[in-house]
Amino acid sequence: MPDWIIIIGRSFIFLLLLFITTKILGKKQISELSLFEYIAGITIGSIAGEVVTGLEANFVHGAIAMIVFGVITFLVDYISIKSKKFSDFAEGKGTVVIKDGKILENNLKKEKYTIDELSALLRQKDIFKIADVEFAVLEPRGNLSTLLKRENRPLTPKDLQMKMPSEKEPQTIIMDGNIVDEPLRNAGKGRGWLYTELEKLGVTLDNVFLGQVDSYGELTVDLYDDKIQIPSPMQRPLLLATIKKTQADLEIFSLETNCEKSKAMYKKNAAILQEVIDKLSPYLNG
Amino acid sequence: MTIASNVKQCLATIKGIEAQLSSLAVNSLDEEAQTLFHETSLQIGDIKKDLQYRVLELERNEPQYKG
Repeated sequence: MPDWIIIIGRSFIFLLLLFITTKILGKKQISELSLFEYIAGITIGSIAGEVVTGLEANFVHGAIAMIVFGVITFLVDYISIKSKKFSDFAEGKGTVVIKDGKILENNLKKEKYTIDELSALLRQKDIFKIADVEFAVLEPRGNLSTLLKRENRPLTPKDLQMKMPSEKEPQTIIMDGNIVDEPLRNAGKGRGWLYTELEKLGVTLDNVFLGQVDSYGELTVDLYDDKIQIPSPMQRPLLLATIKKTQADLEIFSLETNCEKSKAMYKKNAAILQEVIDKLSPYLNG
Repeated sequence: MTIASNVKQCLATIKGIEAQLSSLAVNSLDEEAQTLFHETSLQIGDIKKDLQYRVLELERNEPQYKG
């Protein structure tokens, strides 16, 4: 048998073996979060490469080694879930390198990181001033996780004491001109609703490349034909504007009328509408 | 434009707002938003009733604009 046929055969078998091993070990193996998975990952890859091209090597030996590595990684993962101590040992623990804004030199030395390397890692996170960092940990995989001091963190609505409405994830209900039924059901809608919405936008289903529905039941579509302009959903901002207009109208009526009773009624309802505007604004803005 | 027709127009807008809020309440996925939209649509419903009553009053006072 010529060599190249053997190589093709081995490649296929090892590809399959690698695929199955990784599939069983799961997502954790791919992210190589822990020390052990890192070692197993590179070794399994090297074994496969070595055996596929090295014709003098025994095929079965390579396969056995690979399976052993796979099984041990699987076992380590399994025991790690059960025992915290074991997982600390096998998967490694993060090392605190900056605490209360001060560099812990001893821990840095223990991990054999120089100041230059630490500042390079910080720069990767767009931090150029060590004084800005409250807390930083070196993860087992060698990346740095940082917590900035309170005043240096990006501003969030919470800092401004703004009330933000909670939102559900948008569902992709049209892909490539086809309706995807499961997300449509998750969004609590049916095909009938979708056809009505598409008609409102004036597009046909097979012209839509991608369609998403947000948590307010508004449909946004991307068309194959990029020259066609479709309006973005404006229902909610428009509604808010209408409520504001009506509120102003009621205020005017209350000033115009001479009847005391009606004046009081208009005033009361204008106040209610103002309250409604305040409550709905976070939900209706854009 | 008379007061009566202005108030009637306002009443129509209020009805529209109520309907839109109801539809938002049905179409929203988030429960908090659903309740809020529903409650507000009820509040708007009360305003609608007040205005309807006022429209009747105005029609009685200015029968020529009845319609």
